[in-house]
Amino acid sequence: MKVGRVIGNLTLSHADSGFRGGRFIVLSPQGKEELSATPPGGLSKHPSMVAYDNMGAGIGDDILYVEGAEAMQPFDYRTPVDAICVAILDRYEYAPPSAGAA
Amino acid sequence: MILARVDGHAISSLGHPSLKAQRIVLCTPINEDGIDAGLPIAALDPIGAGRHSRVFITTDGSWTQNTVHDESSPIRNQIMGLVDTK
Repeated sequence: MKVGRVIGNLTLSHADSGFRGGRFIVLSPQGKEELSATPPGGLSKHPSMVAYDNMGAGIGDDILYVEGAEAMQPFDYRTPVDAICVAILDRYEYAPPSAGAA
Repeated sequence: MILARVDGHAISSLGHPSLKAQRIVLCTPINEDGIDAGLPIAALDPIGAGRHSRVFITTDGSWTQNTVHDESSPIRNQIMGLVDTK
């Protein structure tokens, strides 16, 4: 699981039938700098990616997403999905120790 | 398995049902020297790890499906233990 910021939607006119009931979101993986910035969030230097979402995450929301084979685990049938949104975050705290304190 | 440092936590009221009543911590992966290495990751925390403690995290989804008792859970990361010395 990693933290991502939703930055867009993806609309498909034809898709695998397993994707019904959800949609695709474009997200920006949040790195250490984005998570600890005030206010947190923003476009990170990491490549943006597409994830399946059946919870209704909107643009600007912070979410948790899972990559890998486990991403298709919630589906009833084998479905070609690499990344899935698993939680919409209400809030989070992230404060790495200051340099030298570690 | 990933060596990491607990740097925060996350609160979510809308998520996969297998996340219900689970504590979610935000961790920074570290290398053997304690230097940050990679994107922060979120993990389930069944043991209650404290802020800035060193932990190791499994990324085995099938094991986590057992501990949350949900075969449809997509969750992979879970804290397995606290690192005393290394």
